[in-house]
Amino acid sequence: MEHRSSIDINTEWDIVAARQLGRNEAKSTGFGTVDQARITTAISELARTIYLYAGKGRIEIQSITVGQRVGLVIIASDEGPGIADLQKVMTDGYTTSGGLGAGMPGVKRLMDDFRIETEVGVGTTITATKWLH
Amino acid sequence: MNLQVEQIDKDLVHNFKIIGEIDIYTAPKLKEHLASLEQAEGMEVELDLSEVNYMDSTGLGVFVGFYKEVTANNGSLVIKGLNQRLYRLFEITGLNEIMQIEQAEGGEDDASV
Amino acid sequence: MPQEAGKQYKQMLENYLHSKGEEDLYLGQQFSRSFIEKNIAPEDVISIHKNSIEELIEDLPADVGVSFDFLIEMMIHYGLALKEHQSLIRKQESIQMEMDIAVRVQNTLLQTTTPEVIGLDVGWISKPAKQMNGDYVYFLNETSNEVCLAVADIIGKGMSAAMHMSMVKFGMDSLRYEQRSPSEVLSFINNMIEKSISDSMFISMFYGKYDTDTSTFRYASAGHEPALLYRAAEKKFLLLESKGLLLGVQEGAKYEERIVRLEEGDFIAVMTDGVTETRTEKGFIELDILEKLLHDVKCEKAQTMVDFIFNQLSKMQDYVLHDDFTLVILKKVN
Repeated sequence: MEHRSSIDINTEWDIVAARQLGRNEAKSTGFGTVDQARITTAISELARTIYLYAGKGRIEIQSITVGQRVGLVIIASDEGPGIADLQKVMTDGYTTSGGLGAGMPGVKRLMDDFRIETEVGVGTTITATKWLH
Repeated sequence: MNLQVEQIDKDLVHNFKIIGEIDIYTAPKLKEHLASLEQAEGMEVELDLSEVNYMDSTGLGVFVGFYKEVTANNGSLVIKGLNQRLYRLFEITGLNEIMQIEQAEGGEDDASV
Repeated sequence: MPQEAGKQYKQMLENYLHSKGEEDLYLGQQFSRSFIEKNIAPEDVISIHKNSIEELIEDLPADVGVSFDFLIEMMIHYGLALKEHQSLIRKQESIQMEMDIAVRVQNTLLQTTTPEVIGLDVGWISKPAKQMNGDYVYFLNETSNEVCLAVADIIGKGMSAAMHMSMVKFGMDSLRYEQRSPSEVLSFINNMIEKSISDSMFISMFYGKYDTDTSTFRYASAGHEPALLYRAAEKKFLLLESKGLLLGVQEGAKYEERIVRLEEGDFIAVMTDGVTETRTEKGFIELDILEKLLHDVKCEKAQTMVDFIFNQLSKMQDYVLHDDFTLVILKKVN
């Protein structure tokens, strides 16, 4: 069974709505409290990045089943400026100015799979998956 | 350490005012600013350094690189408002012989040549 | 995942709730190491605590349990910061390894021997501000009546500085059996490196050649800090300035060459900007301070002089070098 829902990110309040949606989806997929919090934090970071750098975009949350495995996919997409230097953005200590955790490397750590597609002037799509263990 | 770069364009001359200290930590920021300027044929650039009181060789390197880029496109670069110490740096390095360098107003009096 | 650790934690917590004793706290502290070893994140530790306390205390107020959920949320960022910290430490270790190799390359490949010729006392010091030195000192003396000295300052640090130094060294070595004047040496090296150096890179270099037969010193400078000449008879310092562009900026650059004759007791101090740009609380030191210090020890051996100057100037900046420090003294003795 696949279930899919989404939130448009236009204001800072939409970040809270995206978090709420993500937590509910994570809970109903069967994640424990700690993983729910991890997924929510990842969504929060992704939504905030959209809000800060692209202005607007969308967060989609989808529960998936692949064979025996059950998981939750977050898709964060925007039509913002895109990322010119991916390597830099994925470097520890870059976006966070030295040791505040989060940023894109943080999202990658919180989730199991992480993929970025970006093009300068076109936009960015980040797909992150967490599997139920 | 802080570095600020303001762009004040008038006519066809790109005019930058640089404020702060240019050293190994702030030089990359300056380089980034100058690199963001699209190189056009015959471009004229003026850099005002009247509010830069310190610069080390890394800073000089940024200007040398930028100078090469501008002149490769048949453009011109003027660096002005240099205090005595900075002017001396351009003098010692021989860069004043190839680049257009101007001292800060009022700085000429006590310039030791 | 952390189930086994969870069981043990619950047991230890139960023991402590009964005893409230220091011994159980100590065991708990020891046990926390295993959390780190097993890579259990802070938020998991709180979750383990929450589950344990809910199992141990039946009538635990619901809000207390909920408060742990709040704490879990808080701790996720701490966990990330910790992971990032660990990753940055690993990265630092690998950079350090690379740096150690570069330092070794520099120390072996770029070493130089202090020349010993009659009538000239040579002393020098070159101290890096960080691990890698961006300053370079090289002596060449093929004959007993001649000493060539190069002092260079390479912009940038680390591996790239060491590589550019090697270019300079091999440039000089390739000319060592040819009788080339200082200005010719600089022109040759400039043309050689100009092609292979990046746009914002350059090297400043002072090159001098002392002839013991005539007691003359020929020198040329590629955008380098002027050297100081001390005239013993007049007790005065002169600047040895010579026009010339930095190396690596423009192909075909020409270098002015000058010559001075040394009398007994005269000495020449060649330095890098790490000496002249000594920064104290009050600002930069003025050249006259350096001259005064040099004057105070003018009768000492050249090596004693450079060591003294280094100690004095590093004391003035509280023993923290802001830039690489290089000073060479050539002193005419009988």
